[in-house]
Amino acid sequence: MRDGRRAGEGMDRRGFFRIVGASSAAAAAAGCGKTTEAILPYVIPAEHIVPGAATWFATVCRECPAGCGVLAKSREGRIVKLEGNPDHPVNRGALCARGQASLLSTYDPDRLPGPRVREGDAWRPVLVADAQKLLVEKLAAARQAGTGRIAMLTQLETGSLGRLADEWLKAVGGRPRVAYETFAHEDLRAASLAVFGVDAIPYHAFEDAKTILSLGVDFLETWVSPVGYAGAFRRAHALREEHSARVIHVEPRYSMTAANADEWIRSLPGAEGAIALTLLRLVLESRQIPALPAKEVAALVAAAGAVDVEAVAKQSGVPVSKLKSLAEALVKGAPSLVVSGGVAASGSGGVDAAISVNLLNYALGNVGRTVRFGPSSSLSRASRYADVLALTKAMAQGEIAVLIVKDANPAFTLPARAAFAEALGKVPFVVSLSSHLDETSARAHLVIPDLTPLESWGDYSPREGVWGLLQPAMAPVPKVGPTNPDALDLPQLRAVRDALGRKAPETFPGVETKATGDLLLDTGRALVPGSEKTLFLAKSFADYLRESWRAMAKTVSPKAAFDGFWEDALRRGGYWADVPATKVALRAGVKVSAQAPPLDGSATDPALLVVPSSRYYDGRGANKVWLHEAPDPMTQVVYGSWVEVPAETARSLGVQSGDVLRVESPHGAIEAPAYVSETLSAGAVAVPTGLGHTAYGRFARGVGQSPYALLPAEPTAGSGGRRWLGVRVRLQKTGRREKLASPAGVTEVDHSREIFETVGLTEAVKLERGGKAPAHANLPSMYPDLKYPQNRWGMTIDLDACTGCQACVVACQAENNVPSVGKGDIDYGRSVHWLRVERWWDRGHGGAAATGHAAVPGGIGVAQAAETPAAGRPSARFLPMLCQHCEVAPCEPVCPVFAAYHTADGLNAQIYNRCVGTRYCGNNCPYMVRRFNWYRYEWPAPMNLQLNPDVAVRDRGIMEKCTMCVQRIIAGRDRARDEGRLPRDGEIQTACQQTCPTQAITFGDLKDGKSRVSRLSGSSRGYHVLGELGTRPALTYLKKILREEHA
Amino acid sequence: MQVRVRELLVGLILSIAAMLLPGTDVTPASAQTPIAPAPKQPILFSHKIHAGDFKIDCQYCHADARRSSYAGLPSVKRCMGCHQIVASKDAELQKEVEKLRALWKEARPVEWVRIHKLAGFVYFPHKRHVQKGLACQQCHGEVQTMTEVAQVAPLTMGWCVSCHAERQGPLDCVVCHH
Repeated sequence: MRDGRRAGEGMDRRGFFRIVGASSAAAAAAGCGKTTEAILPYVIPAEHIVPGAATWFATVCRECPAGCGVLAKSREGRIVKLEGNPDHPVNRGALCARGQASLLSTYDPDRLPGPRVREGDAWRPVLVADAQKLLVEKLAAARQAGTGRIAMLTQLETGSLGRLADEWLKAVGGRPRVAYETFAHEDLRAASLAVFGVDAIPYHAFEDAKTILSLGVDFLETWVSPVGYAGAFRRAHALREEHSARVIHVEPRYSMTAANADEWIRSLPGAEGAIALTLLRLVLESRQIPALPAKEVAALVAAAGAVDVEAVAKQSGVPVSKLKSLAEALVKGAPSLVVSGGVAASGSGGVDAAISVNLLNYALGNVGRTVRFGPSSSLSRASRYADVLALTKAMAQGEIAVLIVKDANPAFTLPARAAFAEALGKVPFVVSLSSHLDETSARAHLVIPDLTPLESWGDYSPREGVWGLLQPAMAPVPKVGPTNPDALDLPQLRAVRDALGRKAPETFPGVETKATGDLLLDTGRALVPGSEKTLFLAKSFADYLRESWRAMAKTVSPKAAFDGFWEDALRRGGYWADVPATKVALRAGVKVSAQAPPLDGSATDPALLVVPSSRYYDGRGANKVWLHEAPDPMTQVVYGSWVEVPAETARSLGVQSGDVLRVESPHGAIEAPAYVSETLSAGAVAVPTGLGHTAYGRFARGVGQSPYALLPAEPTAGSGGRRWLGVRVRLQKTGRREKLASPAGVTEVDHSREIFETVGLTEAVKLERGGKAPAHANLPSMYPDLKYPQNRWGMTIDLDACTGCQACVVACQAENNVPSVGKGDIDYGRSVHWLRVERWWDRGHGGAAATGHAAVPGGIGVAQAAETPAAGRPSARFLPMLCQHCEVAPCEPVCPVFAAYHTADGLNAQIYNRCVGTRYCGNNCPYMVRRFNWYRYEWPAPMNLQLNPDVAVRDRGIMEKCTMCVQRIIAGRDRARDEGRLPRDGEIQTACQQTCPTQAITFGDLKDGKSRVSRLSGSSRGYHVLGELGTRPALTYLKKILREEHA
Repeated sequence: MQVRVRELLVGLILSIAAMLLPGTDVTPASAQTPIAPAPKQPILFSHKIHAGDFKIDCQYCHADARRSSYAGLPSVKRCMGCHQIVASKDAELQKEVEKLRALWKEARPVEWVRIHKLAGFVYFPHKRHVQKGLACQQCHGEVQTMTEVAQVAPLTMGWCVSCHAERQGPLDCVVCHH
C-alpha cells in the first residue's frame, strides 16, 4: 500500500522538461496567496459527542458465530478501534485477531456504497428507491408463479433479523430460510441427538476441567467460540496453588492448539473416533469411573465392547501404551473434558467420533459438569450443509425465481463440486444484500448492500442465556477523500503530478443504502396487503428490534420497567443470565462404529486436511489487510496459502518449501507452494482455508489458493454435514517456485542465549512455593543510572500464557496507525509491526544448537532441516517481541539528533518530528524492534477514517517503534487528574494487553511495589530477553512451564 | 540516481513555492503584534463585541476547551441561541447577523477560516491548560480587543517550551509528540 514511486523508474529528458515547465507555472500561480483551511462547526451539536474526546458504544462482533461482545471507540463520529467488552460473558474483554480487524469491513475501500443493477458484465448504480421498486416487482412476479419460488440464504442470524426474515418469507410465500455457516459443526449436533436426544452443541467448560483431551479440535483458533475457550483454557491451565490442568491434544498436524497443549500426540488422519471408542473401553475396564446405573453401564459396554485396542493402535498410529496412559489420565484427572469435532477432522467418521466422545464424557461423569447442555451454542440453529445442497439443487432445477443472499458467500465457501455458482446461473433473479462484491454477489442481478454491523441495529445470541445487542456505533461511512493529500495534489501542482504519472488519490463516494431489516419491512408491506397493521407494523427495523426486546424482557425480567431494561442493555451490550446445565440421560441402544469409511482417492495417497484459518476463517477475512500482514501463527507465512507437506514426503518428491505443487483430488485440483513440515503426519497434507478469491476486494483477489476446490460435494450420511476430511490427494511438482513470504528470521532456539526460556513443572512448583526473583544481569553502564521521579512504566509477558494467536499484533496495528506494507516488503524485512509474535522451534538442550545443527536463516526454510533429519520433532515456542524499553538502551546514544531518548517515566521514546532517518538506532537494537518507513504508506479512502487521531501518522524516512501506547498512558493520567487522583493500577492498559485472550500481558508502574506488574516482574519465573547484553529492559518475560513431565 | 534527481527537483520546486508565500516564520516583536494579517472570515464576527463589550465568557462558545483537547467551535445552534432574538443596531453588522440566520435556515455550518494551527505531529490538549487556570489570552492574545482575530503568538516549539520551563510544565518530548 505504498505510493506509486518505485526505485528504477526512469525519467527521460522530455519528461524532465515537462515537469520543469509545469512546475514553474505552478510556482508562479502558487506564489500569490496562502492556502486557507476551513473549520466547520456543527449546525446542531450531536448529543454526547465532544470533539476530541472518545465515546464508547457496546455492540457485538459478527465476524464468526461466537458473537463476542465489543466496545467500539468513537472519535468525532467514526469508530477508530474495537475492544472486547469486559462485562460480556463470552469473551470477557478479549478479542481475537479477526475481531480486531473486523472494523476494516466498514472502512473497506472496495465496499459497495449503494445499490447496483447488473447490465451485462457491468454494474449500474441505482437509487435506493428504484432498487427497492425493482425488487418488489420481481418478488410480486415470483409470488404469482406459486409458493416456494422465493428463497433466502443468510449467515446464522439468531436474533430479530432472523425472525423478521422468517416472518417475511412466510408472508410472501417463500421457502424456509437457509442459515448457512461454513463451519456449522453438524457432527456435534447429530451426536448429541444420538446419545442424549438433544439437538445441540453443548457449552464446554474448559475452565473447570483438570484434564483436557482434545481429539483434533482447534479450540484456540476457530472452533465454536475461540476467544471464550482460549480464556477458559488459560484459567484451567495456569499454575495456581501448585495445580494446573493437563492438556493433551491428538491430531495429525501440529496446530497452534497442539503447540499449546502439554502433550501433542501425532495420530493418523481420521482416527479420532477409534481413539475415543478405545479410550471408552479402557476407561470402563479401569472400573474407576463414577457410579452409573447398571443399565447405562451395560449400554456403554455394548457400544465400546467390540473395539480392538491393538487394531486401533495400528490404525491411529498411537501405541497401545499411550492409549492406556491416556485412559488413566482421564480417570485420575477428574473432572476431565474430552472434545472432538474440529473441522479438519470432520469427515464421514465425524459423527461416530462425536458419539464416542459423548459416551466417553458420560462414562467419566463429565456431562453436566464440563459438558453442559443448558447454555448450548446457537450454532445448533444453523442449517445443515445438506439443507444448503437441497437449496442448490432446487436452484439448479429452476424452482427458484428470486434468491436473496445476505452475509454468506456460498459460491466461494461451498465445495466447487457442489456447483453453487452454476446453480446461481439458473436463478432468474438473484439479489445480494452483501456490503461487498464477493464471488456470490458478483453473480447477482441486483445488489442492495446492507450496512455493516458497526452501522446497524441488531441482536445476536451466541448461546442460550446470552443476548448481544448491536447498535449503530457510527453513521454510514460518509464521502471521504484522502486525509493528507500529497503536495502534488494541490490544484496548482496537478500538472506536475500528471507529468510524473502519479494517480490521483482515491475518494470514497459515501454509503447511501437501506439496511436489510428496513428493506424487509418495506418490501413486506408493499407485497402483503394489510401487513402494515400486523406483521410489518414496525416503522423501522430499530422499532422492530425494540419491540422484540420488549417481548423478551417480559420473560426474563418481568418486574423491571422496559425503558430501563433497554437502556441498560444498550449500555452493557446486551442481556445475559446464568443458564444452569440441563440434565440429559443416556439413550438406550446407541450404536457407534470405530471404522471410518475410506476417503475418496487412491489409498496410497496422503489425506487432505483442510485447516480452518485462524486469520481468514472461511474466507470472509481475506479482504482485511491487517490479517494478511499478521503472520500465520505456526508457519509465520503472510499473504498467501500453502500446502503443508511432511518432510518425509517432501524428501521423496524432492520438494523444498516454495516449490509449487499441483494438488489433485478426485474432485478438483489446485496449485500452491509447498511448506515443508517437520511435524505433520506422513499420511497427510494440509491446506489452510480462506484465500484463493477470484472476486472480493483488492486485498483478497488473486492471493493464495482455496482447498474448497478439492472437496467432495456429498454430505456425510450421519449428520448431513460437510466431509471436510474426505479426500486423498496426489502431489505433483510443477517446476515453478513461489516464495512464501514471511517476516521471520532465525527460528531455532539457541539455548546458550537468553531468548526463550522454559522451566519444568516440578521446578515451577518449587519456584511458586518459595522461589526468589532471579537476579537479572546488571552489567556496568558508562551512563549514569536513571532516576524515575514519578512512575516507571514496565510490562511482563507470561510465556506460559501466550498461545501465539496474533490478536495483539492486530490490536497494535489498529491502535497505533501501523501501516500495511505488502507481501514483498514484509519478506524483505520491511514490516512495520511494532509487535510481532515470533514462532521459535525448540529442539531441547540436546537439539539443534548443541549438536551444531545450524540455525536456519531465511526463516521458514524448514526444508533445510528436512534434508538433515533432526533428532525428534521440534516444539513451537511463541515469543511476543516488542520494544523492551531498555534502561540502558543501545538505540538512544547513537541517535545524532536525539530523536530516541529516555523519558522520566522509563519509556524509550521516539520523536518522529526529530528523526532524520539515519537508521543508526535500528542497526543498534539487539531486539530488532525498530521499524523504518521506507515509503509513504497510504490508507486508501475510507480506510483513513480508521486512523487513531491520538497517534501521529509517520511519513517516509521516519523510524518508529512500540511506545507502550503512550497515548493511552497520557489519556489514563488525564482521566485520573480530572478526578484528582493518581492512575490506579490496571487502569491504563496497552492495546496488546487489552485484547489478549489469555491475559499474557501485564502493564503498569514498576515503582509502585504493590502493582501487579511489579509483583510479576519479581516472579521467580522472570527473565530478561538478552539480559546478558546489559540493556536492563523494562519488559520481563515469565518462563514457559513445560508440563511434559506429566506424560 | 535518476529517481533521486527527480525527488530533489520536486523538493526544490516546493521550497521555491514556499519562499514565495508570505512569511510565516517571523518572530513577533510583541505578543500583540499579529504575525500574519487576520484572514477574512465568511461572517464578520467581532470578538471585541462579544467577548469584550458584552463580556461573554470564552468558554460559553468554545465550550469544549475545559473537557477536550479541542477548544471547540460554537454550533450554529448556539449562535442562534442568542441571535434568534438579538440583532445589531448597526445596519452593516446586522447584515452579518442575517448571514448567520440564512445559514441556520439552510442548516449549513459557517465555513470559518482557521487561524491557529499546530502541525499534525503535535498534540496540544486545551483541557489541561484551561484546567490549570491559564488564561486563553496567554496563547491567543487579547482576543476580546480584536474585531477580526489574528494570530499573535508564534506557536513554535521554543515558545511552548519556554513557558513550560517557566511554569514547571512537563518537558518530556512525548507529552506533545507521539
